[in-house]
Amino acid sequence: MPRRVAPLLLCILVAGCGGTTPPVSDSVAATSGDVQTDTVARVLPAPLVVTVRGQGGNPATGVPVAWVVQSGGGSVAATTVTDASGQASATWTLGPIAGAQAVHVTAGGGSVTFTATALPDAPTQASKNAGDKQNAAPGAALPVPYAVLVQDRFGNPVPGVTVNWAAAAGQGSVSPAAGVTGAGGVATTVHTLGPTLGDDTVTATVPVLAVTLTFVSTGLRQVILVATVPIPANYGIHDTFVRDGIAFVCAWNTGVMIFDVGNATYGGSPSNPQRITTIATAGGEAHNAWWFWNGASKQYLFVGQEGPGGIGSSSQGDIHVLDVSNLASPVEVATFHLPGAGTHNFWMDESAKILYAAYYNQGVVALDVSGTLSGDLSARLIDSLRIGGPGNTYTWGVQLYGGSLYAVDMLSGFWQLNTAAGHLSIAAGGNNVPERYGSDLWVANGYAYTGTWGGVFRTANVTGNAVKIWQLGVGGAPTLVDSIITTGIATVSDVEVSSNGKLLMFSAENGPNAGFHFYSLADPAHPTFLYKYLVGTGVHTATLGYIGGRVYAFGAKDPASPALIILDVTSLTQ
Amino acid sequence: MLRRLAVLCLSVTMPLGLCAAQRPSLHFSGQAIPLLTTSNAVPGGASRSEARMVQPVLMLEGAALGDHLQLHAMGDFEGWTMEHGQLATGAYGEGYYDRRHPHTYVHELMLTGADVLGPAGGRIVVSVSAGKGFAPFGTDDPMSRPVMLYPANHHLAQILERAVAVAAVTAGPVTVEGGTFDGDEPEYPSQWPKWNRFGDSWALRVSGRPVSGLEAQVSRAHVHSPEHRQGAGTDQEKWSASARWERDVAGRPAYALAEWARTAEAGGAYLLHSALVEGAYWLGRYRPYFRLERTDRTEDQRVFGEPFQSVRPHLDSSILGMTRWTISTLGAQVLAWHRSAVSFGPTAEVAFANVTKLGGGVFDPRVFYGRTSFTTLTVGVRVDWRMAGHRMGYYRGTPTHHEMTMPMDHDHPEP
Repeated sequence: MPRRVAPLLLCILVAGCGGTTPPVSDSVAATSGDVQTDTVARVLPAPLVVTVRGQGGNPATGVPVAWVVQSGGGSVAATTVTDASGQASATWTLGPIAGAQAVHVTAGGGSVTFTATALPDAPTQASKNAGDKQNAAPGAALPVPYAVLVQDRFGNPVPGVTVNWAAAAGQGSVSPAAGVTGAGGVATTVHTLGPTLGDDTVTATVPVLAVTLTFVSTGLRQVILVATVPIPANYGIHDTFVRDGIAFVCAWNTGVMIFDVGNATYGGSPSNPQRITTIATAGGEAHNAWWFWNGASKQYLFVGQEGPGGIGSSSQGDIHVLDVSNLASPVEVATFHLPGAGTHNFWMDESAKILYAAYYNQGVVALDVSGTLSGDLSARLIDSLRIGGPGNTYTWGVQLYGGSLYAVDMLSGFWQLNTAAGHLSIAAGGNNVPERYGSDLWVANGYAYTGTWGGVFRTANVTGNAVKIWQLGVGGAPTLVDSIITTGIATVSDVEVSSNGKLLMFSAENGPNAGFHFYSLADPAHPTFLYKYLVGTGVHTATLGYIGGRVYAFGAKDPASPALIILDVTSLTQ
Repeated sequence: MLRRLAVLCLSVTMPLGLCAAQRPSLHFSGQAIPLLTTSNAVPGGASRSEARMVQPVLMLEGAALGDHLQLHAMGDFEGWTMEHGQLATGAYGEGYYDRRHPHTYVHELMLTGADVLGPAGGRIVVSVSAGKGFAPFGTDDPMSRPVMLYPANHHLAQILERAVAVAAVTAGPVTVEGGTFDGDEPEYPSQWPKWNRFGDSWALRVSGRPVSGLEAQVSRAHVHSPEHRQGAGTDQEKWSASARWERDVAGRPAYALAEWARTAEAGGAYLLHSALVEGAYWLGRYRPYFRLERTDRTEDQRVFGEPFQSVRPHLDSSILGMTRWTISTLGAQVLAWHRSAVSFGPTAEVAFANVTKLGGGVFDPRVFYGRTSFTTLTVGVRVDWRMAGHRMGYYRGTPTHHEMTMPMDHDHPEP
């Protein structure tokens, strides 16, 4: 570099210090025709005129003039020498490329540049520019907007062209339904897919061209993580009860965390849960809940306390009743204690105002929860039934269905019970899962689905990786008809069927396949796999919530880094 | 954490700065046992053999101000040499089953202000200690006892690796020690105690030495949520009683220990007992020893594919059941080579164990293990460098490195 710079410096020095007079050049200036606007490929209406002057400013005659198209690809037809008035002129035909174009003129020792703006020609073509052939869950807005590009005959984008959009009937909606192309010649719209699986069509019409374009995207079964809400590691998160856009998260010694997840009262949504409050129940160990409106003036939340126990031998834990008439300020008002036993999952006959509670070490308990609840609810006990007998009863869950009460017991299997206003008796079933321990249940479609628990082998090397499928007979008696076996898990910890009966969901923990598992119930006797959403540390419980026409799975990520996981599973329910 | 420990230590020992400066002393020591263990106490009915370097420790004991200021520090490197624990029939704790967990790297880091009253205390010796170490509860750490494999009752009979503050008062043959500490037990070797839980647990130990060579103690402790670090787990109420006897018999060192321990967890929902007797006797270069133990333990859900480890924290707060382990261990050590401060002691021991289901619960050892009787054979070499049976976990203000007796040395002064 220094070797190249040295001669340059030398030249500068020579020029700066020398005593010679620089040559005087003719000057050239644009006289007219600069800064015009017209359509591409057209001849500009005004010619380009330059005037060349010599020393003293007098017009210079016969000076050669050179015209060169500098940009835009057009052409010029011009005189090559100045006339008597020192002028030369040219006719400029714009090139085909829209935008700024230029012609450079040199004469004598001077030069000048003419510029012009070339506008696109009339639109002649339209094409799909972006967004076609996407996949998403039914009802979801596609992430990439559909885009149409309008161009002229040279391929220049044409702005200001109207494009009308329309979704085929039942195949979602578009927003906006009409628009004009922007500077880039593009008009866009967002397609929200229709509610069903399969292809959804949107047409884009360009009236000025009488052209219609078709966009097709597909609604697929998908699970979408919409929120992950950290829960204090105060022995983590256990069950969640969701109704009317309110989620009651049972977070052990932290208490019950109440979230607005779409109730509209506190501004929450499934993707943005808003915590309303947290209340710690007496003794902590909040495990499960059921929210009940008694039809009068009170709203109660029944909270199950899962105390320490030895599975199959002992347990403790009470039912705590919170008055949640004011969700922001709940108050514990009553408890129910059963010596030597601990409560687990609930089900309610809300019309009869009877709470059915599964009880570790006790079986099934029916409580009268009508009217105002306060203090000790011992007098509200209607009945209890140790379904498997002493030493063989550790009941996980209960559910009313078809006039029967069904119960699943860790030790004694799946039972059908009679209940007459809360008075319990055994109808059928029991001692029917000898190789595994039972866990949760759900009854729908004339079938029952029961999980299995695998904290330890009941039979050598057999884990709790099964969902048992029971067909309910005419009288409701269960008969085992099939099983779902999932490898890589130790326990099926929660089971639920969607309200439309089409989706079976279960949570799994302890193993590489821990997480949410989803099955189609097109054939309720033989579910077929749809989807799994794995959660490394496991999902302790999973609950379906119905909010704003969509279906969400609320999962308890436990035990490490506990969190409430919310998935949009709407597409799986179709 | 180190800063917090330092503050804790200094706060209880600062008054000693007023003492006259005397020449400080430092004593370094260490030990390690490379061993091979083969056992059929393995879930699923299999057998397993493993070679490990266990108890690789370096210890530093320091004294200054005329022994009024004492330092007990031990680095334990089991996190490197036995990252996933050591086969140990019936052992459990800190998320392990049938394996003994690795200890934390900083096993002990205690500063003691010894005899803080000085001559003003007369015959009463008062010491205060703080740092990371042992709570004043139970018996000697198994590391300083004759048997190579830890007993199953380790977590019933000792409380260690806590941020602890201890006060000890000795009057003649009686010592009363009280301490407060954090209840959370370690979860992995590099973990420090959870500082904001310091003080949520306490322990008290009363020891007496009625005759030469005999020490008896009774301990009581309340440990808050040891198995759930955030503190939402169940509490333990612990008791321990023991008699330790050590003196020459027929001119040769003899040692015996009898202990009983009880832990009540979750308000008494789970009651665990342990009884243990062990002894050793030097016959020339040979030292035969034995241990008889019966210990109860709770059974937790195991990690999928890792039957030696439990789900931590365990889901809900229920256990699978309880088992009772009866373990008889016989062994012998030979002092093969001894040069200056280093000694090598080849050792072999065999343990016969039997497990029974205790009470109800769904844990069936016959299903889990495929058997209920087990045999464990261990051969190893005790490598000792100036450590020789140091009695760990006592901060009574007595001279620092003279409390060693068993298993290696023949010089065994009174603790």
